[in-house]
Amino acid sequence: MRQAILEVDGISKHFGGLAALDSVSFDVAPGEIVGLIGPNGAGKSTLFSTLVGLHKPTDGTVRLEGEDITGLKPHKVAARGLTKTFQNVALFMEATVLDNVLIGGLLRANVHDARELAKTCLARVGLADIAGKKAADLSFPERARVEVARALATKPKGLLLDEVMAALNRVEMEEIMDLIRSLSRDGLAVVVVEHHMHAIMTLCERIVVLNFGKKIAEGSPEEIARHPEVVRAYLGQEYE
Amino acid sequence: MAFIQAVLDGLMIGGVYAVISIGLTLVFGVMGIVNFAQAEFLTLGMFVAYFAWKFLGLDPLIGSFLSFVVIFGLGVVVQMTLIQRVLNAPPVAQIFVTVGLLIVIENLTLIVFGSDFHSVTTSYQTSTLRIGPLFIGIPYLAAFLMALLSAAALWLFTNKTWYGRAMRATAQDPMAANLMGINADRMRQIAFGLGVGMTAFGGAVILPYFTVHPTVGHQFVVLMFTVVVLGGLGSVAGAVVGGFAVGVIQSVSTLFFPIQLQNLVLFIVFLTVLAVRPTGLIGAAR
Amino acid sequence: MKWWITGAVVLVAAAIVPTFLDPTGYAIRVLTLALLFAALGQAWNIVGGLANQISLGHAAFFGLGAYTSTILLINFGLSPWIGMLAGAAIAAVAAYLLSFPTMKLRGHYFALATLAFSEVLRVIAGSWTSVTGGPVGLSVPFSPDSFWLLQFKSTMPYYYIMLGALVVISGVFVWIRHSSLGYRLRALKENPEAAEVVGVNTTQVKISAAVISAALTATLGTLYAQFTYFFDPEAVFGIIPISVRAAIIAILGGAGTVVGPIIGAFLIVPMEEMANVLLSSRGAGLSQLAFGVMLIAIILIEPRGILALITNGVSRLRRRKSS
Repeated sequence: MRQAILEVDGISKHFGGLAALDSVSFDVAPGEIVGLIGPNGAGKSTLFSTLVGLHKPTDGTVRLEGEDITGLKPHKVAARGLTKTFQNVALFMEATVLDNVLIGGLLRANVHDARELAKTCLARVGLADIAGKKAADLSFPERARVEVARALATKPKGLLLDEVMAALNRVEMEEIMDLIRSLSRDGLAVVVVEHHMHAIMTLCERIVVLNFGKKIAEGSPEEIARHPEVVRAYLGQEYE
Repeated sequence: MAFIQAVLDGLMIGGVYAVISIGLTLVFGVMGIVNFAQAEFLTLGMFVAYFAWKFLGLDPLIGSFLSFVVIFGLGVVVQMTLIQRVLNAPPVAQIFVTVGLLIVIENLTLIVFGSDFHSVTTSYQTSTLRIGPLFIGIPYLAAFLMALLSAAALWLFTNKTWYGRAMRATAQDPMAANLMGINADRMRQIAFGLGVGMTAFGGAVILPYFTVHPTVGHQFVVLMFTVVVLGGLGSVAGAVVGGFAVGVIQSVSTLFFPIQLQNLVLFIVFLTVLAVRPTGLIGAAR
Repeated sequence: MKWWITGAVVLVAAAIVPTFLDPTGYAIRVLTLALLFAALGQAWNIVGGLANQISLGHAAFFGLGAYTSTILLINFGLSPWIGMLAGAAIAAVAAYLLSFPTMKLRGHYFALATLAFSEVLRVIAGSWTSVTGGPVGLSVPFSPDSFWLLQFKSTMPYYYIMLGALVVISGVFVWIRHSSLGYRLRALKENPEAAEVVGVNTTQVKISAAVISAALTATLGTLYAQFTYFFDPEAVFGIIPISVRAAIIAILGGAGTVVGPIIGAFLIVPMEEMANVLLSSRGAGLSQLAFGVMLIAIILIEPRGILALITNGVSRLRRRKSS
């Protein structure tokens, strides 16, 4: 068993009287790819937002490399080494692709070095040739990749990817999956939220299932596929 | 006793503050726009009532209805020609269209009416009502009662008439209102007309004890904002409570501070409210 | 680097122009004021243009600069150059403190809060008579010519001082835009949440921009006081004469661009001054009216300012020619 880098322990988040997250716990080790699935509204994006500090959890702790990062502001969480991409893509639309990624790089470097770092990250996601384009002019799949590059530029240890494969065709999806695998080989702990079940099943070593804010199952893809509650809650409707 | 008298004075003027601020909050509630020119419509309302008194011999309390009608019409025109065009623009455009309007109205009145101060004379100007040890000036009481009257009329309009309900529906969800056959643009024109009309009315009813000149609106700008921010931008009931609160704060603070610092207390209240409850206030608004 | 050449040519021209003018005449006075207000628009541009926080309260910092240096000069004979630094420091602290209540405010709310803050200072300046002279205002003790006391009989030295101020503040603006602060401000302006998640300390970025902008604005308040010799609370703490004008100058030319405030100031200031002269007593009202009409017109036609209007027009012409 590898030592976990990201430890999520009993995280709850209430909005008003509503529990969006109810005591969710799981760990991710360096180099591991964990899938996070669940029906719409199960709390996946809320969980990501809470982990990076956009929401303050009502209860529970988040630890990164053994240090408590619960309730820190997002930029401090990013500095510790945990960041995420946005489900609906939150790029700086008026800026160029390169500048978008550069802003992530500023966390660890001055403008000049951040620019070099940004170029490396763009090359890694396969977008080196459109670095000068304005973000607003990109296609949706390109935007998702810029999101990944921007997150990589912060030199994270843990990376939360929120539906980066939405709207991709099969070839593009394979490319992104290869990218994610290569990131995990570099020792990154990766958590992936994805609706595309085939991708999740082939990419992840372990899967965590949320339903109504609660973790209802955790295990290998094979275990999850057979788990009765999961089948009832989720797979039954979408996974054929 | 001085304290009770101050509270009473504050309530009298607070009623007027409530009415002039209802206009501001109404416009924000329906369109999400802060009308920085709102106080200029108070100036215009005062001028209409002043000329109605001067040339038609109308008492300002009667002339206030004329002010309302004229400024309502002007408001509809302003909504159609200016505000409508920035409804979906970024805040910077919305802010500066109304700031531009403020500058235009102020200087038009300056050019047309000159920079002189004008006031009216009425038979009840110096009369006071005595209740035991307390005094209320009749002009203040009259303005207060007129303010209450207009607030009640507005309440009846928004709650009991089809137009009022349609206007509120537009404020809540313009798309749905449109589907229900409500002309949202027309409703916004009515809302803006009503908003500036109410403020003009409030200006007219204080004419018996307030002199009018082109920059009279300045004295009310931050005051109105304080009222609506206290009550929650967009909330009419909040503006009424805020109006009374501001009137009383202003009046009572003169017991403890020099009169020049009267507004200072208000501004500090204003900034504090914005600082302490920003999410609450914004949440109340939209 | 073409814009370097353009900039240098404009700068040399600006340096030569006064030699053709009567050094105590009206034209140079108007140009000097235009330079001062261009610099003011540029200082506003750091908050309003780069961070997209629409301040309607920059008069607060302008007034702090004017009052601080003048009070120090009157009471202690302190050089306005030192008073200028003191004013800038006070304005910086004021901006720092103001950033806490306004931290989470955006759009209309931010504009309202900044406006109220400047009104607080205007009221204090009008009431604290023993120090500020109250509603009457303050006069700078007249003792020209002295560089140390920043006073001259001729307008010429002021012209160069204002030009220097504009160059310095524009330089700061350009430097910020290309520095990490500038990139972070852009991120903050477009998407504060995403900026935080990729490591931008948005609180610190906002405060930095506000403090720099306020300090620069205060230095201009000092220069204004020394140039006009006399001011009252409305002249330096006024919403329309300072706060709104600073914003309009930047927006009219093109907020967020370095040339925007310069274009804006050189349109608005001469226009106002000409109207004042040509139309005498009622001119003030008319020039202000024109000012308001221009503001509404530019917002309705092209909210990104005249610069965008011109570049759009040029590119449309080019397209028509090429097709």
